[in-house]
Amino acid sequence: MKKQVSLIVLAAALMMSLSACGGSGGKAETAGQGGGSGSEKTLRFATWDTGDALKIEQDIAKKFEESHPGTKVQVEAYADGFDQKLAAGFGAANPPDVMYMWDFPTYHQSLEPLDSYADKDKDLNIDDFYKGLFNYGKIDGTLYGIPAGFTTRVVYYNKKLFDEAGVPYPKDGWTWPEFQEMAGKLTDKSKKQYGFGVRAENDTYDLQGFVWSNGSSFISPDGKTIDGYMNSKDTAAAIQMFGDMLKNGSAVLTGGKGQQSGDDIFKAGKIAMWESGIWPLESFRQAGVDVGTVEMPAFPGKPVKGVLAESALSIAKDSKQKDLAWEFIKFYVSDASIKMRVADLPVRQSVVNELKKDQDPLYKPYYTMLERSDNTPAFLLNPKWNEVNRQLSAAVESVMHGSNAQDVLNQAVKDSERYMK
Amino acid sequence: MNHRRHGPLRRWLPAGAYRSIRTKLLVCFLIVTLIPLLSLGALSYYQSARTVNSQFGRYGENAVAQLQQQSDSMLGRMKQMSQTIYSYLLDPAHADLGSNPPVSYGEIMEKNDFESVLRSLANDQTAGIYIITPSGYYYGENNLDVGKLAGILAWKSVPVTNSGPSWLGFYMQNHAISASEQAGPAVLGLAVPIRNPGGAQDGSTILIEEDARELLRMFRQFEEDTKAHLTIQAPDGRTVYESSESFTPRDNDIIWDKTLSVNHWKIEARLPAKAFYQSSGVIRSNTLIVAVWSCLLAFGLAYLFTSRFTGRIRALKESMQKVSFGKLDTRVPVEGRDELGSLDISFNRMVSGVQSLVQEVERSERLKKEAELKAFHYQINPHLLFNTLNSIQWKARLEGAEEIRRMLYHLTMVLEGNLDISQELVTLERELRMIGHFLKIQEIRYGAVFQYKLDCEETLKRFVIPRMTLQPLFENIFFHGFTDGAGVIELRVLEQGEELLLELKDNGAGISEEKLAQLFAPNPEPRGRGGLGVRNADQKFKLHFGPRYGLTVRSIKGEGTSILIRWPKKEEHPDGERKQLESADRR
Repeated sequence: MKKQVSLIVLAAALMMSLSACGGSGGKAETAGQGGGSGSEKTLRFATWDTGDALKIEQDIAKKFEESHPGTKVQVEAYADGFDQKLAAGFGAANPPDVMYMWDFPTYHQSLEPLDSYADKDKDLNIDDFYKGLFNYGKIDGTLYGIPAGFTTRVVYYNKKLFDEAGVPYPKDGWTWPEFQEMAGKLTDKSKKQYGFGVRAENDTYDLQGFVWSNGSSFISPDGKTIDGYMNSKDTAAAIQMFGDMLKNGSAVLTGGKGQQSGDDIFKAGKIAMWESGIWPLESFRQAGVDVGTVEMPAFPGKPVKGVLAESALSIAKDSKQKDLAWEFIKFYVSDASIKMRVADLPVRQSVVNELKKDQDPLYKPYYTMLERSDNTPAFLLNPKWNEVNRQLSAAVESVMHGSNAQDVLNQAVKDSERYMK
Repeated sequence: MNHRRHGPLRRWLPAGAYRSIRTKLLVCFLIVTLIPLLSLGALSYYQSARTVNSQFGRYGENAVAQLQQQSDSMLGRMKQMSQTIYSYLLDPAHADLGSNPPVSYGEIMEKNDFESVLRSLANDQTAGIYIITPSGYYYGENNLDVGKLAGILAWKSVPVTNSGPSWLGFYMQNHAISASEQAGPAVLGLAVPIRNPGGAQDGSTILIEEDARELLRMFRQFEEDTKAHLTIQAPDGRTVYESSESFTPRDNDIIWDKTLSVNHWKIEARLPAKAFYQSSGVIRSNTLIVAVWSCLLAFGLAYLFTSRFTGRIRALKESMQKVSFGKLDTRVPVEGRDELGSLDISFNRMVSGVQSLVQEVERSERLKKEAELKAFHYQINPHLLFNTLNSIQWKARLEGAEEIRRMLYHLTMVLEGNLDISQELVTLERELRMIGHFLKIQEIRYGAVFQYKLDCEETLKRFVIPRMTLQPLFENIFFHGFTDGAGVIELRVLEQGEELLLELKDNGAGISEEKLAQLFAPNPEPRGRGGLGVRNADQKFKLHFGPRYGLTVRSIKGEGTSILIRWPKKEEHPDGERKQLESADRR
């Protein structure tokens, strides 16, 4: 009897010490938490977009995750550092699986050829895309990018400011002299209001439309010569025009150091006309600006030419999950996704027809400009264009700060000749 | 006694004769169980508490070290970045990077190259890299509104003359030029004024901002995990970071602190001692709860056990009481085979032994009563006999038959000795006197043909001898040894130490060897009267004095017989009563 009792007591004591140990164990467990969530596949998607456009892309990624359980899409917004980060990713053999792409001449060696995917996959319905778009994603006849969005450039105008100044709205077929005259009329320095906004740091790619419209180009059609093209009289004239507008005060410099972006100033109603792609249209409307669009003005006696800015989606050659990446691209260029992406023009004709976009006066100029975008951009003609472009960009920027266009362009051509060998 | 010492205990224990033993048992029990219980509990508490505390202490230490490491690596990265930019700017090859906005083609080329370098320096964490010149122009991404930098508290206090790096601390990056852009992330800023007298960038300031959200999240995670209050203080006493919860520092706070190697910021995590010991407090309260429960359990078990134990003792005691009141058929139910069980069994055995003994005594007492009655009955007859003999004696005297009268007198004396059964042990003197009377009868019968030699010192005559032992032996001599009463009888009594030795010798016919052998045989056939007397005498001695004593017979056929008797010296009890005699209180 006594033995039994002492056994029970011992057991109780043991229990107690055990429970004490359990207590400390519990504490230790909560301290060491974490760990992986298991077999979830992660697809990396790199984009240069920010703000609203980025948010739309993230929404599309979420939709893709919903329709593909077990997949996580990691949207990597590289923004301004896109080129550096992408190059670093390729260099380290750790690139994103899917990325936005436009500069195929530079990167095509790191990208997966997509012809076999596109041919094999009938779901893609390749004939539905605007024909010209595929040209941008091809290098030597091999397809490296599926068009995801594009835009042409038009002139936005603030109807309210036009009304206030008593200036009639611009119409298709107008000319640059008319444009300059209107800008002068719409400028009111007392209100810090200008007729036009000029970017401090222009992308020379965008300027090609003006150069082409003036009958010139940055580079010879065979891509071998810049002298006489980049520094031609017509090229210089097209660029000098903006420098002159800044000088005479009918335009304001935007987007430079300490300056608001042209989009913001246009939204604020302080510039009457603004030249851009489709990207800011949605934000202009949201800001309550009564905005109109019109195709680019013409140089007198010359046909208006447009430049097409296209974004495509590519798969990295080093990607470990190319099939999943292809699925994502397909999803990204599906009707549903295209409709979500209001910051791009639809790449599919069926969507345009369905939404009657080309009938909408606000959108019509983009499609008019699309028809006029048949010149080949410089970067597709010469693989060294990026190097040349550094000089060209600096030259253009200095024009905006008052330099003579012909002089600086001559200097830029001189500095760039060594890249043309 | 325990009664007194455990007064309070006694009050609530059930009253009873066995309270004391129960109390003792209970106390014993509790001591036996509580000492290991409490010591084990205390031991486990102290050990686990110590382990937990030291582990938690180490954990906190490590966590702070981790924060320090993370902060250090971030600060180091920023410092490294600032040094790279600094050395780039001080390179005379980049002297074109002036304080004023670049406008010429060459200046713009230089600016673009520099900004390209800045972009390449940027990493995932980088929130901004700017070089702000005294003119208000800056290099870096075009999204900075220099005017809004004044919103950073520490920015204003960056001394222009100081060439050392100035850490701005944590702040929200809301110096973007665009009004539409939302407030930026929380960043950590580093401002490095450039001192390069005569150089293009003299007086400019390098501003490097890193996204601090991850670091701040780690701080908050740490605060959440440890409940500690985190502060980071710059060497100049400025508080760079402080946990949002209000906190009053105390002297007994547990403090983990580390100093950043990059800029000597001091990370200090203060944990109120109460919170630090909370986990060990939980262990303590758990241990206490278990201990209390175990105590209650032990007490309950002890109480149960002792009540059972004392209950059995009480049952035994009650049974004893019943027995003492004479209820000899009382038996204790035997429970268990332990010591108490065997006690029960022994008790039962004892009571049944006593019972049968008492029955035996009752029976023998009854028999004795019967014998006494019988003896009483027979007592009457000797009186009648003696009266008659006396009458005959008187008649013989009157008739002048002197011989008859003398015979009658001696017969009466012999008979008196024979019939007086009040004493079993008589003095040797009395026995010898009776032998004298017996011999007088034989002398009258046979005439003076025999010789009787008595050799006994007077001092020995006071010692006792069993009654009627010598007379049958004398009878044997006359009836078997002598022919017509002729012969010599010698009786000698000697003293040998504490014993007496009596020798009775005759020169009669003697006893044949076979008869001698039969004399002391266990079951003698009753053949003649001879043997009976010897054996009776022998048994009387053995009975009274023990088996060591008794008769020895030596005899040679035709030459006589010699009987030796040995017995211890014993004097007659003064009041003449013998304890051995059951008839002592007879009269």
